[in-house]
Amino acid sequence: MNDFPWLTMIVVFPISAGSLMLFLPHRGNKVNKWYTICICILELLLTTYAFCYNFKIDDPLIQLSEDYKWINFFDFYWRLGIDGLSIGTILLTGFITTLATLAAFPVTRDSRLFHFLMLAMYSGQIGLFSSRDLLLFFIMWELELIPVYLLLSMWGGKKRLYSATKFILYTAGSSLFLLIGVLGISLYGSNEPTLNLELLANQSYPITLEILFYIGFLIAFAVKSPIIPLHTWLPDTHGEAHYSTCMLLAGILLKMGAYGLVRINMELLPHAHSMFSPLLMVVGTIQIIYAASTSPGQRNLKKRIAYSSVSHMGFIIIGISSITDPGLNGAILQIISHGFIGAALFFLAGTSYDRIRLVYLDEMGGMAISIPKIFTMFTILSMASLALPGMSGFVAELIVFFGIITSQKYFLISKILIIFVMAIGMILTPIYLLSMSRQMFYGYKLINVKNFSFFDSGPRELFLSISILLPIIGIGIYPDFVLSLAIDKVESILSNYFYG
Amino acid sequence: MEHTYQYSWIIPFIPLPVPILLGVGLLLFPTATKNLRRIWTFLSIFLLSIVMLFSLYLFIQQIFISCIHQNVWSWTINNEFSFEFGYFIDPLTSIMSILITTVGILVLIYSDNYMSHDQGYLRFFAYMGFFNTSMLGLVTSSNLIQVYFFWELVGMCSYLLIGFWFTRPIAANACQKAFVTNRVGDFGLLLGILGLYWITGSFEFQDLFEIFNNLILNNRVNLLFLTLCAFLLFVGPIAKSAQFPLHVWLPDAMEGPTPISALIHAATMVAAGIFLVARLLPLFIVIPSIMYIISLIGIITVLLGATLALAQKDIKRGLAYSTMSQLGYMMLALGMGSYQSALFHLITHAYSKALLFLGSGSIIHSMEAIVGYSPDKSQNMILMGGLTKHVPITKTSFLVGTLSLCGIPPLACFWSKDEILNDSLLFSPIFAIIAFSTAGLTAFYMFRIYLLTFEGHLNTYFINYSGKKSSSFYSISLWGKEEEKKLNRNFGLVPLLTMNNTKRASFFGNKTYKISNNVRNKTFITVENFGLNTRTFYYPHESDNTILFPMLVLLLFTLFIGAIGIPFNQEVIDFDILSKLLTPSINLLHKNSQNFVDWYEFFKNATFSVSIALFGIFLAYCLYKPFYSSLLNLTLLNSFQKWSSKRIRWEKLINFLYNWSYNRGYIDAFFKTSLTESIRRLAKQTNSFDKRIIDGITNGVGITSFFVGEVTKYIGGSRISSYLFFYLSYVLIFLMILFFFYFEKF
Repeated sequence: MNDFPWLTMIVVFPISAGSLMLFLPHRGNKVNKWYTICICILELLLTTYAFCYNFKIDDPLIQLSEDYKWINFFDFYWRLGIDGLSIGTILLTGFITTLATLAAFPVTRDSRLFHFLMLAMYSGQIGLFSSRDLLLFFIMWELELIPVYLLLSMWGGKKRLYSATKFILYTAGSSLFLLIGVLGISLYGSNEPTLNLELLANQSYPITLEILFYIGFLIAFAVKSPIIPLHTWLPDTHGEAHYSTCMLLAGILLKMGAYGLVRINMELLPHAHSMFSPLLMVVGTIQIIYAASTSPGQRNLKKRIAYSSVSHMGFIIIGISSITDPGLNGAILQIISHGFIGAALFFLAGTSYDRIRLVYLDEMGGMAISIPKIFTMFTILSMASLALPGMSGFVAELIVFFGIITSQKYFLISKILIIFVMAIGMILTPIYLLSMSRQMFYGYKLINVKNFSFFDSGPRELFLSISILLPIIGIGIYPDFVLSLAIDKVESILSNYFYG
Repeated sequence: MEHTYQYSWIIPFIPLPVPILLGVGLLLFPTATKNLRRIWTFLSIFLLSIVMLFSLYLFIQQIFISCIHQNVWSWTINNEFSFEFGYFIDPLTSIMSILITTVGILVLIYSDNYMSHDQGYLRFFAYMGFFNTSMLGLVTSSNLIQVYFFWELVGMCSYLLIGFWFTRPIAANACQKAFVTNRVGDFGLLLGILGLYWITGSFEFQDLFEIFNNLILNNRVNLLFLTLCAFLLFVGPIAKSAQFPLHVWLPDAMEGPTPISALIHAATMVAAGIFLVARLLPLFIVIPSIMYIISLIGIITVLLGATLALAQKDIKRGLAYSTMSQLGYMMLALGMGSYQSALFHLITHAYSKALLFLGSGSIIHSMEAIVGYSPDKSQNMILMGGLTKHVPITKTSFLVGTLSLCGIPPLACFWSKDEILNDSLLFSPIFAIIAFSTAGLTAFYMFRIYLLTFEGHLNTYFINYSGKKSSSFYSISLWGKEEEKKLNRNFGLVPLLTMNNTKRASFFGNKTYKISNNVRNKTFITVENFGLNTRTFYYPHESDNTILFPMLVLLLFTLFIGAIGIPFNQEVIDFDILSKLLTPSINLLHKNSQNFVDWYEFFKNATFSVSIALFGIFLAYCLYKPFYSSLLNLTLLNSFQKWSSKRIRWEKLINFLYNWSYNRGYIDAFFKTSLTESIRRLAKQTNSFDKRIIDGITNGVGITSFFVGEVTKYIGGSRISSYLFFYLSYVLIFLMILFFFYFEKF
């Protein structure tokens, strides 16, 4: 049973089943919807089953690995495998994509293509998280972009073409650097290109070369993460995309950057990482404050949430650059936790937009009377987003704080400064989140809207938001659910830094 | 009784099922849940009573064998960092849990009636249950991370409950203000916790104190950093207990329903700051400067709260400032190191203030029927007056609460406040002067509230008759227009609480009429149109028994709770429950064995403080004596005014005080202009920076490439002539360059 190519199946299944939909005769939107949902659920079950029976948590090595030669002449393999770092993100992908498909129920325009693109994205994301080959990683990275671009440019809001172009230019431009890095690393040192991540992890480079590689990868991941100055594609993209796409973007796509930072920059290039980490730390701290103070100035609801995700990604960057056990654990936990919270917030913002049909916060108000359930969920989730204890965000941020304190690398004064500034972000976060919920829901009357009676969220929306809420609270109360997955992997990554 | 302690981890979890079930029920099965509404109340009261019995049992145990029980479980399993959860039972915990549960039960009973017409009845009980859980969790927590955990949770409950009536814009602003202000405190608290962890490597209280003391003794740590950490830790209590710079949220928090003001913003949550300082006192006490800061902030708050309470129109705001002032007394006591008197005052004040708030809620409830549902009107003391006739029981209990807060002997607050005042005499004369004079101020403003509310005549009609025609009633009911208020109370579970059904029915019938009148948004027709006999309807009524019962119980508490701290002379040994409980703790001021209480000293001080309080009451009588009877005192007033020969200056002073108090000491305005505006400006600036510069560069690159593309397109427009032209011109340029170089060489 162990030889069964589980991962290949998991990666290939959604896209192949999705392409089947394109060839079958068109039977109406409903069929497409349910077909996609079924595939998503099947895939999620398949993933869970495969991981349940074939994944051992206490093993830091690659598991479920597969190795097939694909292109002979430059040593390109179809090489998959998962470890503690990627299992969490793969499960997150399955979960969020399934829910995003469920959230996309109201989409009727060209639903066949829409659902196919969702499934293609599904494959691309899982392929990215489970690839053990550098070139395969790059290919999956690129495969991801096309569906997002199409989803954005066809089903977006008014300014969708601008945002889509911006998105594709930013990300495609950055993946150029990724390609350069990939080729550089693989061609270094030997005549035959080596693309296997395991082999590469043990390789060492001259320091200048390592720094160059590092910068290349950093630019690629910094666009995706995003790290400030390269973040401006994100608010535009989020502001225009349909909310199911937003869920995918905020829930998974942003995490690809952080995942890449850990997987490639930390694992393959440890020396350069320890050189760059103070800089990254400073950038992360500035990012938290910067995004948190930009956010209240946004009029657009979705853009405000988008800036909040930028701000939260700062914690991941800080955790990664603290090079400590708690810091990295916290970063991984934040990846998962923000995946849930960000997706849920976008979903709720989208559903309330569906009702009120207004984007700007200062035009809204008083929605709580007619849609109390959405109001409740929104309140709970903005609490989760501002790191209320008992929710996952709190644990992640606390552990990141912890990581900085225990870090041996930095001096006392710099540590104090960084913690202080990060904690100021903690004050700014409730300001924009709570004022957002106040502007949307509190108050009494709405002048601009004539028909002021909305339907409250139906069973589908309620199910969706509750099923995102449950893991958030679960992780918040018992964080070992997620921490135990990655703990050994984190130790083995960090051992490079202490002995290397 | 080891096994009892083993189960005490369950204390915070007992009330938890109600909010969880209610939350799930309201989201998934709203109608079914709403049909069961009374059952939820009974369930939550029942569960809370179990906790009360349990903590009472623990308390009795603690009296006999005063010891500390602790047990922890690990929360995260990791080599590098381990967080633990557990419980920590000591006298402080047991006192606090009894306090929380008793006030909590009474407030729950009270709010069953108070909120019975509200659409958010069940939501209210869900929040309350969650608050009880997290507050109990806070007092039983065994380490600082756990404290932080529950600290934020109670803050969130407070946020939700202040914004309970979310249709009111003021409430929406108030709850956000409260949360953000508390978050500033949490910011300090978290940094302090992290700093202490960095110094000592532990979160557990016991270990923390031990390591800390060792470090101080061996002088192995930077004292400045230590003080900084301790101060940051203290910022948390400053915000939560509404101490001086961060007190701004408390008066605004009165936008919440009145039972909440009684439970959260007077008795329990605001006491959490005092609790935390008390818990960490072994840590603070080794750093003298931080103790000085604590007492300084305490005394500033005492004075500020008292002066701000002087001219509040809103009855609840007045009480809120008084709470702030009393919390300042507690903080002052802690800063002076007299742990015991601070806790004593915490207990007595909690009961007295809860009584006062419940009383004010009862008043508001009966006023609402007359003046409308706007808090500007129903809580406005100017519209009240002469309520003695209409609400006698409420009046009595309010009076007792007022007297207790003023520090009149047999009542609870007298004993505790007196202790604090005495200790302040020992500590520093300046602080003592301020503290004593504030005791007079307290008496003054409390009696001002009392007199304005209960004495004289009902002012609503005076204002109506005086030609102002200000009867623009709050025409929008709270929950929107389309839904009529649900008045048919659910009598499914009737027989349990229907003692005065007939009276209530008539009362409600009357109310229905009024409300529907409001809902239809008619301008309220003047009283005359109803005929003469209807006017009698529009006098406030005494509240229901469900509201009166908790007040009477609290009245008993206010009368007798002082007993736990009064030193009884039993033969030779002093017997005093509180000191027996808290003896192992620290006492800075009474270092020399104070086994006997000097009764002479006690009497002297007591007389002094009581006379100051009486002077305050007397002043209040002079100034706020109801209109009609003030003729009797005219001579006295005249002499008073003659005595103040520089009358203009006197009036100036009074005006200044009044303005100061009415504008809340200008602190809110200052914060508003300095902080809120600056954050807004910052947001605007970063936003424009983001848009203009960072995004501008991207867009600029895009536009430039677009133009370059256009130009290329234009040039490469597939015209042979232009190709030829460019070709030839480039050749020409090339030749010219070549020629120049060639020329210069030779």
